[in-house]
Amino acid sequence: MATLKDVTQRLRLLHRLEQRLSALEAEVQECRRLNLRLAELIDVVGELLVPIADRDEEGVAEALRRYRESVGGPAA
Amino acid sequence: MGTGTRRGPVTVRSLRADDDGLSFVLADRDHDVVVDVLFDGRRVWSFWTLRDSEPRGRERHVPWPSALVRFLDGQASLALVDHVSGEQVAAVDATLGSGAGRIRVVDSKGRPLGLDKSLTLSRLFDSRDPDQLAPLLSSIDTVLEALQRCGMDAFLAYGTLLGAVREGGLIGHDSDADLGYVSRFDHPAEVVAESFRLQRHLVELGLSVTRYSGIAFRVNLVESDGVVRGLDVFGGFMRDGHLYLMGEVGAPFQRDWVWPLTTVTLEGRSFPAPARPERLLEAMYGPGWRTPDPAYKFETPTATVRRLDGWFRGTRAGRDLVWEIPSRRRLRTRPVRPSAFARWVRRSEGAIGTFVDLGCGAGTDVFWMAKRGTPAVGVDFKPSHYQSMVARAARDQVPLTFTWANLNELRSALATGAELARRPGPRVVTARHLADALDPTGLEHLLRLARMVVGDSGRLYLQVLRSPAAGPAAQDPRQQLRRPGAEPGDVDALVEQIVQRGGRVESRHDLVESAADGPHGTEPSEEKREVTRVVVSWQR
Repeated sequence: MATLKDVTQRLRLLHRLEQRLSALEAEVQECRRLNLRLAELIDVVGELLVPIADRDEEGVAEALRRYRESVGGPAA
Repeated sequence: MGTGTRRGPVTVRSLRADDDGLSFVLADRDHDVVVDVLFDGRRVWSFWTLRDSEPRGRERHVPWPSALVRFLDGQASLALVDHVSGEQVAAVDATLGSGAGRIRVVDSKGRPLGLDKSLTLSRLFDSRDPDQLAPLLSSIDTVLEALQRCGMDAFLAYGTLLGAVREGGLIGHDSDADLGYVSRFDHPAEVVAESFRLQRHLVELGLSVTRYSGIAFRVNLVESDGVVRGLDVFGGFMRDGHLYLMGEVGAPFQRDWVWPLTTVTLEGRSFPAPARPERLLEAMYGPGWRTPDPAYKFETPTATVRRLDGWFRGTRAGRDLVWEIPSRRRLRTRPVRPSAFARWVRRSEGAIGTFVDLGCGAGTDVFWMAKRGTPAVGVDFKPSHYQSMVARAARDQVPLTFTWANLNELRSALATGAELARRPGPRVVTARHLADALDPTGLEHLLRLARMVVGDSGRLYLQVLRSPAAGPAAQDPRQQLRRPGAEPGDVDALVEQIVQRGGRVESRHDLVESAADGPHGTEPSEEKREVTRVVVSWQR
């Protein structure tokens, strides 16, 4: 037969585990969000780095214009 | 799917209709079936008898969907029809509102409208003639071909695939067409990067694309009848024996259920489909996908929602916020009055090389600056906000620029920042009630963009709503009025974030604004707002 003290301890443990689980879920979600950020950086660097590295002024302006167009129009 | 099990024909008694909704008695209290609601013989809406109703004494009650309410003034013969058997189960002559005339659920041109499964009012396929569907089928072909030219083999998905497999045609209670594809990549970041490349290719092919998330977008086509139609393209990928397809699928799946693609027939035409379309339909709609359900609600497992949210979503936060924009007539005819904030910025700064207003809304501050000879750029997430000012600037020959940006997309923020940073300096950036409307990601991108544009010679001016101080003022309802979209926030936390990102807060001003301080003079005259202005610079 569990004593009141045992039950209290178990409830506390359960509460701590719930808190750790919530924290863990938040951290997993935080890691998942890096995918979108990483892909955006890959895209910007991949599309804009070459003309900028070439120091081609017209090329940079054109690349920027085309890139901004390709990011997409606004939602209706 | 409804929660109950069909057990023979449903018996509905004592159907009543009033201004609140429909009330009826179910002979079998556990009987949940999907019924169509017909107005004068035409389906307008569908619901599940148990799932979508609530008990009221011995009756069940279903409220009118909000999208229908504005039509419900007049008389109509209402009928409930079992969607699957087609059998009428109840009928009543209804008199709603003033009771004058017949109730007609139609658009401004008199064309019939109905509710789809999301309770969105639209022109459904069942109210269109076959020849009206031809442009849609051609649009599907156009987008499929364009995707193929970009190296992506897409196929019919969701309701469009369901209709093709189950009925060989478009589902009557559906209103749009969906396409999907499965990437060859298995890492979410690569799948997103691929989706960006696809978008770029489609734009280069002359198509207009609106992004929903990291792997879903809409292709906007102008059809031969002049109607602009959006076709949704949902990306997907396979990982660890599971298929994840935006926006509802996360299920154990085999590669040979996807490839090689096969074909299905839709309205007499052949379109690509996954190798085992029934497997994908089961992943989308569950094992009961063969039974029609016009009131279907996705019951996507939390684990799938969390994965798709975490990997791909978050680029559209705040896009549905409605801001207070004066009428077009007012913007085009009345004298343009700037905000007190813009006047203050102009007084505070000497020569401004370029004035940039982020979240410019109607663009009156931009117009006012440009008219005083300052090169000015307005940036907003909705071009409809600044359209009137574009027209007015052209008419009055005021040189200015308006451009679109989405601060919840890092790509958009960086590219906009790079473009604006090339304009003459010193560049002064303002953001009036923007930082207090953005989510944390949007705010981070706002500060990043501002830093790029301001450089080491200009300044960023922010105005935000301040949380009301404790005490009597906090109880004053006038103090709690706020701009739509903006939320009073913790200014200390904002300042801390600015400093963390290398910014220097030159000054901070707490004040109370009245309607007269707004840019348009359209806000309620009794409104008072506690606001804070923050001036920021960066030194490199």
